[in-house]
Amino acid sequence: MKNGLLQIAALSLALVSMSFMGGCKDPNETKTDKPEASTSGGSGTTPSGDGIKIGLVASQNGELRPWGVDCIAGAQLAVDQINATGGIGGKKVELMIQDSNSKPEEGKSAAAKLASDGVVALVGEVSSGITKQIKTIALEKKIPLVAVGATKPDITADGNGLISRVCYTDDMQGPVMAVFAFKDKGLRRVAVMTDNKQPYSQGLSETFKKKFIELGGQIVAEEFYQSGENQFGGQITRLKGAKPDGIFMSGYFPEVGPMARQIRENGIKDAILMGGDGWDSKEIVQSGGDAIVGGYFCNHYSNEDNRPEVAKFLTDFKAANGGNLPGTTMGALGYDAVNLVIDALKRLDAGKTEINSESLAKEIMNTEGFRAVSGDVTLKGTNGDPAKRALVVEVTKTDQKFVKGFEPADVLN
Amino acid sequence: MLECANMLGGIQLDFTQLPQQLVNGLMIGAIYALIALGYTMVYGVLRLINFAHGEVFMLGAYTALLTSYAMGFSPTALNAAYSKNLDPRNDPLGLVIMLLVAMAVCAVFGALIEYFAYRPMRNQSRISALITAIGVSMFLQYTGQLFLPSTPPPSIAQEANPYREVLTWNIVPEVLAQDGSVAKAGIEIVVTQGKVVMLITVVILMSLLTYLVMYTKTGRAMRAASHDFDSASLMGINVNRVVTATFMLGSALAGAGAMMLTTFEGTAMQPFFGVLPGVKAFVAAVLGGIGNIPGAVLGGILMGIAETLVVWLGFSAYKDAAAFVILILVLLIRPGGLLGSNKVEKV
Repeated sequence: MKNGLLQIAALSLALVSMSFMGGCKDPNETKTDKPEASTSGGSGTTPSGDGIKIGLVASQNGELRPWGVDCIAGAQLAVDQINATGGIGGKKVELMIQDSNSKPEEGKSAAAKLASDGVVALVGEVSSGITKQIKTIALEKKIPLVAVGATKPDITADGNGLISRVCYTDDMQGPVMAVFAFKDKGLRRVAVMTDNKQPYSQGLSETFKKKFIELGGQIVAEEFYQSGENQFGGQITRLKGAKPDGIFMSGYFPEVGPMARQIRENGIKDAILMGGDGWDSKEIVQSGGDAIVGGYFCNHYSNEDNRPEVAKFLTDFKAANGGNLPGTTMGALGYDAVNLVIDALKRLDAGKTEINSESLAKEIMNTEGFRAVSGDVTLKGTNGDPAKRALVVEVTKTDQKFVKGFEPADVLN
Repeated sequence: MLECANMLGGIQLDFTQLPQQLVNGLMIGAIYALIALGYTMVYGVLRLINFAHGEVFMLGAYTALLTSYAMGFSPTALNAAYSKNLDPRNDPLGLVIMLLVAMAVCAVFGALIEYFAYRPMRNQSRISALITAIGVSMFLQYTGQLFLPSTPPPSIAQEANPYREVLTWNIVPEVLAQDGSVAKAGIEIVVTQGKVVMLITVVILMSLLTYLVMYTKTGRAMRAASHDFDSASLMGINVNRVVTATFMLGSALAGAGAMMLTTFEGTAMQPFFGVLPGVKAFVAAVLGGIGNIPGAVLGGILMGIAETLVVWLGFSAYKDAAAFVILILVLLIRPGGLLGSNKVEKV
């Protein structure tokens, strides 16, 4: 042993990086366990007793709680409404909720519990990482899964006709922001800030850059940071040197807020700040202050959207929740996801088809022009990704303001 | 030739940005230095790498935040003020209170951690103590996740920070051509008042620390214990008290760093947020020579500047890798660190 310190430090480094990995909550790092032995042999489940059971996996605890709570409220509203009109073919719809605790592995066991309780469909989650785990259960037990807010494109891949979602994918929101920046704001020189610890952020930056360049704009700089970082002076100084007229920040709100503040403090005064649905939280205003006010981001839904479905949803939601509006977009998306399932159940009932998870999965994929609160959803002829409306909203001092809605045709041609 | 923006294999050297980048690095380094002091002091006395130090830093940030809430700068209170078009700001005295509370709470935590976790392990092998340290670190992270606000609370402290003015120092003014394009890039340094206050505070704290260690009885005892722990105790020094004092001092500095980071730079907090600064500061302490107090300061500032220079070169994606490359290089070339002694140690 030539040098004790060397040894200790090397070991410590190894250990600390281990604990560091344990500390960051990258859902992709969660190893998928071997699927547990299926008891039913994978023949699907038939509703038992007198109700039709829909399983909802939501984060009642953990850092996704604000989204989880809204998602549950929305889903419950949808179920209460169908039951108030007599249920489906005389049968009540039952919403069974399991907590994922904001963790992929707990989301998986929550989904397994719901499957063993005999649900005909699974709904959830708001994050791609957890949804990926629920998907393994859905595939194994052959139960259809409707994801609520999972925007990562590969969620529906290899879905065997079981996996769908009610939200747009990151392939939509990057181009939406690019079109908005180029055409509506007249930006030509945009800089990009990417969180290279988050696949979400990397993917979003890619789709944004691609579309923006395609339109004829110039990406003048791209800088990287890691979630958990606090001081962005170095990167910002480089952005400043590139003299951008807009900055696209594709990360999540905890870093975007302070970063916006530091961008202004470093003297980039006029560049318009933009981002994706990772900004969707009231806290972005608190952590970004004046700097983030006036920034634009892409969202699934806005309380101010001009669709008639939105006004009705808000009235109903308020009545059911003591006058409170949903705090996040997940109230509407949770409502939409459950209603998508109920809509398929209604069609099965009308066609006198026996209701089980197999027939339901098929019927969900047959959905055509379903008027969801957050936009029309068509799953027929897709692999489960609806081509869906996306909104650009502006951050205001107390909330967010609807600016413009984009239909897929406006963006993807 | 002030501007020399050339493209060499993707490397873009813009020397007009260099002064600003050095300032950026100094600001990051100042925080690293404050945290690194805690690692180095504890190592100096106990030969223990206190991995829970990053978590003490995290607790300091939460304490600062909650103190500012208690002083009337909670999200609700601020939102209420905004809706009336008010711009509430903390006064300097309020910031001093936040600083002192954060330091005090961290000092208490440091002492408690030492008393309950490390003291029983004092006579065990160093590896056992090291594993304990990692255990404490994880314990604090996950307990934090249970009891601290689960949604990352934004730092309101910065919103109410009175030192928000942006100071611009134009070293070389920008020259514009007739058509309005830039003919010759200027050199300027932009810095917020808050960062200047932060830097001054760091200098004051370090001077205080130097005074404490060099000119007080406790400081002398600390140095004696660091020189030879067993002999010091034979000479009638209450080593337990010395160890407690060391932990308290180091933790208080981390608390101060956390308070200033949340107030003047802005952070989004979550119970794991001490990990990254903790690891970087640990590398800084090793770089300067672990166990050596001026070394920790030097190491911290060098780390901050090195990191920023990597960004300046255009490799922000590899910024954090730079820290570990530095660590590996130091361990290979100069295992004792820049200012540390290079004597071979027996384990």
